Amino acid sequence: MLSYTIKRLIQGLITVWFIATATFLAMHAVPGNPLSGAKAMNVEIRQNLERKYGLNKPVGEQYLIYMGNLARGDLGISFTQKNREVNDIIREHFPVSATLGIMAVVFAALGGALFGALTALNRNKWPDTVIMLAVILGISVPSFVFAAFSQLMVVKINALLGISILPVAGWGTVSHMLLPSLVLGLGTMAYLTRLMRSSMLEIINSDYIRTANAKGLPQTRIFLQHEMRNAILPLVTVLGPSIAGITTGSFVVELVFAIPGLGRYFVQAVQQLDYTVIMGTTVFFGAFLVLMVILVDLLYGLIDPRVRVS
Amino acid sequence: MTAPAPPAKQPPLLTVENLQVEFETYGGTVQAVRGVSFSVEAGKTLAIVGESGCGKSVTVQALMGLVPMPPGRLKSGTAELRGRNILGTSQIDGLDFRGREIGMIFQDPMTSLNPTMTIGRQIAETLEVHLGWSRKKAFARAIELLDMARIPEAAQRAKQYPFEFSGGMLQRAMIAMAIACEPAILIADEPTTALDVTIQAQVLDLLGDLQREHGTAIILITHDLGVVARMADEVAVMYAGQIVERGSVDDIFYRPAHPYTVGLRAAMPSNNPDAEHRLLPIEGSPPDLFSPPAGCAYAARCPHAMRICSTHEPAPFVVGADHYGKCWLHHEKAAGGASMIAAAAAPPEKKS
Amino acid sequence: MTGTTQSVQSTLAAQTTLADPALQQGAFEPIRSELRVQALTRPSLSYWQDAWIRLKANKRASLSLWIIIGLLLFTALGPQVWRVNPAEQDLLQISSAPGAERSAILVAPHSPWAASDVPPGTAAGLQLVGRATTQQVRLAWQPIPGAADYMVYRNIVEPKGKATFGLPLGPTGSGDITRFEDMLDLQPGISFYSVVPLDAGGNQGPGSKTLRVEIVNAITLQQAADRRLLEGRKTPELGTMIKLPFHPLGTDYLGRDMLARLMQGAQVSLFIGIVAPLLFVLIGVVYGSMAGFIGGRADQIMMRFADFVVALPFLLFMILFKIAFGIGPGESGIFPLIVAMVILLWPGTARLVRGQILQVREEAYVNAARLLGARTGYLVMRHMIPNTMGVILVTLTFAIPSAIFTEAFLSFIGMGVAAPTASWGSMSNDGIKSMLTHPHELFFPALLISITVLAFNLLGDGLRDALDAKLRSRE
Repeated sequence: MLSYTIKRLIQGLITVWFIATATFLAMHAVPGNPLSGAKAMNVEIRQNLERKYGLNKPVGEQYLIYMGNLARGDLGISFTQKNREVNDIIREHFPVSATLGIMAVVFAALGGALFGALTALNRNKWPDTVIMLAVILGISVPSFVFAAFSQLMVVKINALLGISILPVAGWGTVSHMLLPSLVLGLGTMAYLTRLMRSSMLEIINSDYIRTANAKGLPQTRIFLQHEMRNAILPLVTVLGPSIAGITTGSFVVELVFAIPGLGRYFVQAVQQLDYTVIMGTTVFFGAFLVLMVILVDLLYGLIDPRVRVS
Repeated sequence: MTAPAPPAKQPPLLTVENLQVEFETYGGTVQAVRGVSFSVEAGKTLAIVGESGCGKSVTVQALMGLVPMPPGRLKSGTAELRGRNILGTSQIDGLDFRGREIGMIFQDPMTSLNPTMTIGRQIAETLEVHLGWSRKKAFARAIELLDMARIPEAAQRAKQYPFEFSGGMLQRAMIAMAIACEPAILIADEPTTALDVTIQAQVLDLLGDLQREHGTAIILITHDLGVVARMADEVAVMYAGQIVERGSVDDIFYRPAHPYTVGLRAAMPSNNPDAEHRLLPIEGSPPDLFSPPAGCAYAARCPHAMRICSTHEPAPFVVGADHYGKCWLHHEKAAGGASMIAAAAAPPEKKS
Repeated sequence: MTGTTQSVQSTLAAQTTLADPALQQGAFEPIRSELRVQALTRPSLSYWQDAWIRLKANKRASLSLWIIIGLLLFTALGPQVWRVNPAEQDLLQISSAPGAERSAILVAPHSPWAASDVPPGTAAGLQLVGRATTQQVRLAWQPIPGAADYMVYRNIVEPKGKATFGLPLGPTGSGDITRFEDMLDLQPGISFYSVVPLDAGGNQGPGSKTLRVEIVNAITLQQAADRRLLEGRKTPELGTMIKLPFHPLGTDYLGRDMLARLMQGAQVSLFIGIVAPLLFVLIGVVYGSMAGFIGGRADQIMMRFADFVVALPFLLFMILFKIAFGIGPGESGIFPLIVAMVILLWPGTARLVRGQILQVREEAYVNAARLLGARTGYLVMRHMIPNTMGVILVTLTFAIPSAIFTEAFLSFIGMGVAAPTASWGSMSNDGIKSMLTHPHELFFPALLISITVLAFNLLGDGLRDALDAKLRSRE
């Protein structure tokens, strides 16, 4: 297990290096090379940038400087704002995104497991039909539509009741977090529900559940210890990619709900063509996702004995 | 083992009468089991023999309440364990009889155990549920049971997962699990089909030994007449959802009373190198159970078929003590029918 | 066993009493030839024929197929039928909802409001002067005692108390001026005007008046002539109502026809949604099958590279590449979007195809064919391609909705197609800004995205079920 962990971490580091390199190359491929070109910007910022990124040096050397900075954990400085470091931006905005993301993931995983099991156990009965209809909608309707319509709904409900039952924008209290994380997790939840349903159906009809019945185990015990435990395994394997989906999905949700998260900041940076912030944030997000995938893999190893031993 | 059973004095342990099971499918209703009756006595082995799809597995799964309903449906029938009904319920006096009174092992041990639970836990679980034992006590007993099932280093093995076991070992662990609560009856549904031939013998020996030690009755589902010869006291031959012949193991091998039994016998490989024995397949395939034929289900494949066979279903003709065959050839008007069956039977052969 | 024996005997007893005529005559004669096993005859179907039959039997999938055909027709033939320029702005019908009133009153060009226009002796509190049109709304009222100034408000709902007077339009500037002209962004429909007296300190005083006003669309003669709305009228008179152009799905915030925009957007969204997956699936198939065929070290290196590309955070790099390619002025931004998608998404298919090729290569039937002397070309054509085609087709079907999703997502956050070009995503982005007042601007593009994605997903499900050989053998 330990050697496996170390192996995965080394693989992860190489992947992060690849992401950083791809980011660097992509930014240097921008027409007119904004990093070295004399775009209109504050003199002070320009000097800082030149010092930080070695902009007057050849590209190879710039790459080494950039990688060196990254290795020290320094993601760079802003291209458009004076004395603004990417690290500060992340420190300020990422906790918001992370809170939103964690709530969405928890919501999606719990909902997916629960609804998926419910549909499988009631196959072809009304709960199955209703939930699967909702799942199809959840998969087919873009998150921004959900965001917009849920916001619209809450506005109407608030207006109807004359009191604000849920805030529709902003950040701060738990009630601010509810609606956005629900919307953010919805697509993933639909996907996980579908996965859980097929996984659960397979297990319900499996030989070992027949054995458990033949042993005369109580139904609740069969459900909890034999069915659920095995059915959630496939869910855990896709949790890594799901976290990636939720993280990028937060761009839209943060935008619509006016949440001061890193996703919204990233979109802003892109709109302002703040190249260095884009680079730094991309590398950070990339590293974060790689870490998440590794963590999920290790978690999977913990709960599936077949992986743990081999 | 193959000696004819002495006349039964005590009431049978398990009595099944006129069991009928259907399945609703998109194509229509499949009549999988069409009026099966049999009984099992303590300490004896009843083998139910037949080809794939003849309803033998469905019969025992229906007894154990393992037929998913829907699409399955119990159309009629009774099943009594020591005089208490067990059909259509999983409980006797509010307690689950499965695992406690009747244990069951399945064809494919590789898929029949929970892949994410240790072998020991899966055995101990039965004891915890039925006998209310503590986890620790049950686990200790699980190790003993594994040892009894001749699994070496049982204490370590109990902590392992199914994927760390070989097929034969898993089947032995399954047996250990099925007999954990010392049930009166053990149902073995094709217990050796998925195993290597060398392992098969070991598993069968284990079953036989356990039966002798504990006096367990065994219902053995198989399509392998070799296994029947080795294990069975009584045999029920099933075809197209019905028992077509029922008798002692000697009756079946030496005095078959149904052409299907004769056909099965002829299709069985012989290990007598002197006998010139060609394997004879039974031509054709079993009837469509969506709409079973009006007469004898075997008529279409039967070399002795008569006009009546396709129109009227034969009744069970008693041909000896506890031995009957559902075949018109035993009717008084069918000249020489019974002898035809006897003549067609392959030369007698002792079990290896 | 006693029970069984009894029942056996009882049935036997019933047996002998049988008086069926069939039992009398030759019932026990042997028969052989008449009764033979009926051969199971079923027309033999090719893999694809079988799959097609299964797909057609799947109601959801075949409905989806029809929806997709409908969408393609909408995209291809729609602009031929509905010949409206999607870029043309109808400034008289901005953000008009489908089915909204589309008549307008012919008016003279706007002229300043002379004080003498106010009718003398304006009796009842607050009243309209002239007609309330989208050109101007003129109000006059009786002086309210003690007022040093008046504040005029407008709201779309009836005000209930101070706080709900709505949009402040401005003060009249003096207690003597008891009239007001509103020309600010007037929309047809019902509005409520409130006049509130202010005291010398600027505080609201008592005695406010509210008037319900129905505003109608106004069009000047010149505008109407320019838009050729006066054809067939000899002498257009001021004050007559004329019909404005018809917009079946309403107009957007710039007065552009929604239906025409949706058709143009469909072209962009579906083009990206179909071309990008076709390209990256093709590249993935070539790359994956090469890796699978070559095997060994080259395979490992190729797949390791694919793993790296997979690890790139997709949407972030979509944005990054989009910036890297840059969009020049006047460009639609479709091309960079497709290129970025292809660069990032090929490894998924490559992995899948490689896996399939490796799997099929080891199958017993391929070995059997090889032992019988089949050449590589034959093996590829006869075994490898038919056995991977299904998976590739299913991948493609699922890739289309996710590409449409991606385009919509990027256009929504302003990173997709560039401004004048319409796509469903960018239209949603425009629509969300006025979601509260004009929900139709968001609703229609969102609905189309959802239906398209839904149809392709369901078709993909159906295809997977139809092509899945494992599922087939289970039946």
